[in-house]
Amino acid sequence: MLEIRDLKVWFDVREGFAKSRPLRAVDGVDLELRAGEALGIVGESGCGKSTLARAVLRLLPPTAGKILWLGRGIEALDAAAMRPLRRDLQIVFQDPLASLDPRMTVGEIVAEPLRVHEPGLDRTARGARVRAMLERVGLSADVIARYPHEFSGGQCQRIGIARAMVLQPKLLVCDEAVSALDVSIQAQIINLIADLKRDFGTGVLFVSHNLAVVRRLCDRVLVLYLGKPMETAPTAALFARPLHPYTRALLAAVPIPDPARQPARLAATLGGELPSPLDPPSGCVFRTRCPHAAAECAERAPDFRPPNSTALATQRVACHRLEEI
Amino acid sequence: MKESLLEIDHLSVRYPAPGGDIAAVNDFSLNLVAGECVGIVGESGAGKSQALLAAMGLLPRHARVAGSIRYGGAPFTRELRGRRVAMIFQDPMTSLTPHLRVGAQIAESLTHHLRLSGAAARARALELLRQVQVTDAERRLDQYPHELSGGMRQRVMIAIALACNPEVLIADEPTTALDVTVQAQILALLAGLKRERGMAVVIVTHDLGVVAGVADRVLVMYGGRLVESGAVADLLTTPRHPYSRALLRSMPRIDDPLDGPLHTIAGQPPSPARLPTGCAFHPRCERASDVCRSRFPALAAGRTDVACHHPVEDA
Repeated sequence: MLEIRDLKVWFDVREGFAKSRPLRAVDGVDLELRAGEALGIVGESGCGKSTLARAVLRLLPPTAGKILWLGRGIEALDAAAMRPLRRDLQIVFQDPLASLDPRMTVGEIVAEPLRVHEPGLDRTARGARVRAMLERVGLSADVIARYPHEFSGGQCQRIGIARAMVLQPKLLVCDEAVSALDVSIQAQIINLIADLKRDFGTGVLFVSHNLAVVRRLCDRVLVLYLGKPMETAPTAALFARPLHPYTRALLAAVPIPDPARQPARLAATLGGELPSPLDPPSGCVFRTRCPHAAAECAERAPDFRPPNSTALATQRVACHRLEEI
Repeated sequence: MKESLLEIDHLSVRYPAPGGDIAAVNDFSLNLVAGECVGIVGESGAGKSQALLAAMGLLPRHARVAGSIRYGGAPFTRELRGRRVAMIFQDPMTSLTPHLRVGAQIAESLTHHLRLSGAAARARALELLRQVQVTDAERRLDQYPHELSGGMRQRVMIAIALACNPEVLIADEPTTALDVTVQAQILALLAGLKRERGMAVVIVTHDLGVVAGVADRVLVMYGGRLVESGAVADLLTTPRHPYSRALLRSMPRIDDPLDGPLHTIAGQPPSPARLPTGCAFHPRCERASDVCRSRFPALAAGRTDVACHHPVEDA
């Protein structure tokens, strides 16, 4: 359904009087998403995960590379040519309240995509679709006359999801959609997204820094670091046997509420800090924090490739030393 | 029995409001002993930060604080803040002064509290930065906060907090704004400081995984009240309060069996402006009965201390 080839999104950054330098937010990412599949895009801040998701929706202009949507290249389409495609490409943002227009009622917010993309629909039919969708996301239909500020964060996120899903899009992008929510609310929204994906067969790009959430919701995972893909694998494989040293470090750093295991996990965490994306390391971008880095890692960027072992053929990893470590 | 440092007794925090007082904290008590790490857990509005800010005398003037706060057996005074009890916050960028170099900000506390000279303060600042494992410490002294990463800034905050060798460090969501690998580094640093200096630590967090890594004891708050407290090993493995249990179950983990949908708690945490009667958790509780709606349960001692009319008992 969606295919991305060697996508690059660079920004010009000017510091003082210095000549502008490119910030390579996304630097050569390939991905594929089949209909009804959920792909998790994970990594720490500055890894390019949100930029990637926004570029896919053409909310940001790609610098280079191809974005094929249902077989058609959309990387160069202008706003007018993109408009008809937008009914199938929807997004839910992190901050639920900020992403809803405070002057519109909930009913108007959820009806807006229908007005734009299904102008033939009469008032009654539109109202029925809106009410049905609101109920589907767990809100009673009597919320339609109220305004976003009257709702809690979790309810606003349900409204945002209703707005995104009312057209039954083929692709739903969730950009840290559960990150701002309290634990008990987060669980409700995770289950809601899982149910909607299953019932509507929606493909999902799930951008998150929370690996435990991604493990629950996604079929496959793509791990990014400084704009580059480190590893991609089916979810079960990635969590059972992470192959890239960065994936391993990331998984080891996720806190688990088990007092018998967590203190030891903490003691063995990855050192160092994320390098500046304006001045990424040569060769493999992860080498400055990698416990296995060798001379060749500084010289040449590793290919993003399947491991030599056929047993691991579903995974792709960018690491020179994959077979040794 | 270890020496008790900070004793908070029957603390309550109210804010007068037109529609009736907002009860941010109700009857909160904590007895912190030397060298232990206590985690305080809860969702937004649970009162966890309010309780500690109130204990430190850091709430706005219109807050009505009642209860007793003692330190080392005597009433807590402002002079102890920064010297004996230091505090760090979630967002190191807003806690640091943007136009002062890092070295000057650490030295400020040293010259103010310990009356060190300029050169001695700078030398000590450098030593402190090294203790909190800031790389390239000498150069960092002359940098401004915006030139540092989030993790570095939190280390600088910890260095400032450690300047006067405090006996207690209060950390309010210290790693919430950080990436997981950096969070793990900061938590490992705090655990090490606690161990090496025998410093007591109170860590406020919404993440039970954070508590499991660093805390000895954990307090769970809901609707402004303490609902359960106990040793981490007990409370996180077999919680007795239905809320603690539900919170643990609704947290996605990287090591859970994925055998069915995530457990959820219906509804949402209550607003301190509109707390339910009786036990604030009763509208969301699967064990609630009539008594839960009318009367708040007292905290009763047991394997863990729990404030519940129908605690979960060991199977």
